[in-house]
Amino acid sequence: MKEILAVIRMNKMNETKRALADAGIASITARKVMGRGVGKVDYLLLQGAQAGYEEAINQLGPGPKLIPKRMLMIVVPDELASKVVETITKVNQTGSPGDGKIFVMPVKDSVRIRTGETGDVALDEMEMVA
Amino acid sequence: MIMVRAIIRPEKVDEVLAALMYAGFPAVTKMDVYGRGKQRGMKVGEVTYDELPKEMIFAVVPATDKELVVETIMKAAKTGNKGAFGDGKIFISDVDEVYTISSGRKETASEPVVA
Repeated sequence: MKEILAVIRMNKMNETKRALADAGIASITARKVMGRGVGKVDYLLLQGAQAGYEEAINQLGPGPKLIPKRMLMIVVPDELASKVVETITKVNQTGSPGDGKIFVMPVKDSVRIRTGETGDVALDEMEMVA
Repeated sequence: MIMVRAIIRPEKVDEVLAALMYAGFPAVTKMDVYGRGKQRGMKVGEVTYDELPKEMIFAVVPATDKELVVETIMKAAKTGNKGAFGDGKIFISDVDEVYTISSGRKETASEPVVA
């Protein structure tokens, strides 16, 4: 089983969820997070500041500033990991810095709380693989 | 590559982020969380708080940088010299692959993160 942690732009959230549902990956957990990467300034932030949006201008001050993002956490069987990564990448790739990052991490075990099943069968997406 | 997840005091976030930036790790994500440790919360006067607001920050770094990152976070997040209950915890887990969405670049354990 793999856990896929994707940090993406706020305004790409709905599109990403829809694309994942279309691909058959319905189970996801999402959070609002703040973050930054190596880039000094997010391209969209710059655009926002130029357009005169106050929140964007405030964030362009000196020092490390964090930008609001959304984080998706998806646990899938190993075979589906690359499909999830491809789906997320296709929807979110605009080419400018700030698009986000995807981390693929190993999961030692999963448990379905309702039934107590453990291992791969605890994941709903198991039906897609079997 | 490893993911370093640190749960720290909210008032220490700026210090920790600045220390990480200065040490060469600018890429970080932060989340608001609530939690408690072995002390089961905090009693202030008559009120017992069994969930305390904390901040969780996580960074994915090359495995070779683990000691440096952990040391940086610990030094910046500790209160005073001896530390205190509530300073937080750091968890380390493995990351198999890292994808950068804008460039499409993929990094794995054999081809480490350059950030």
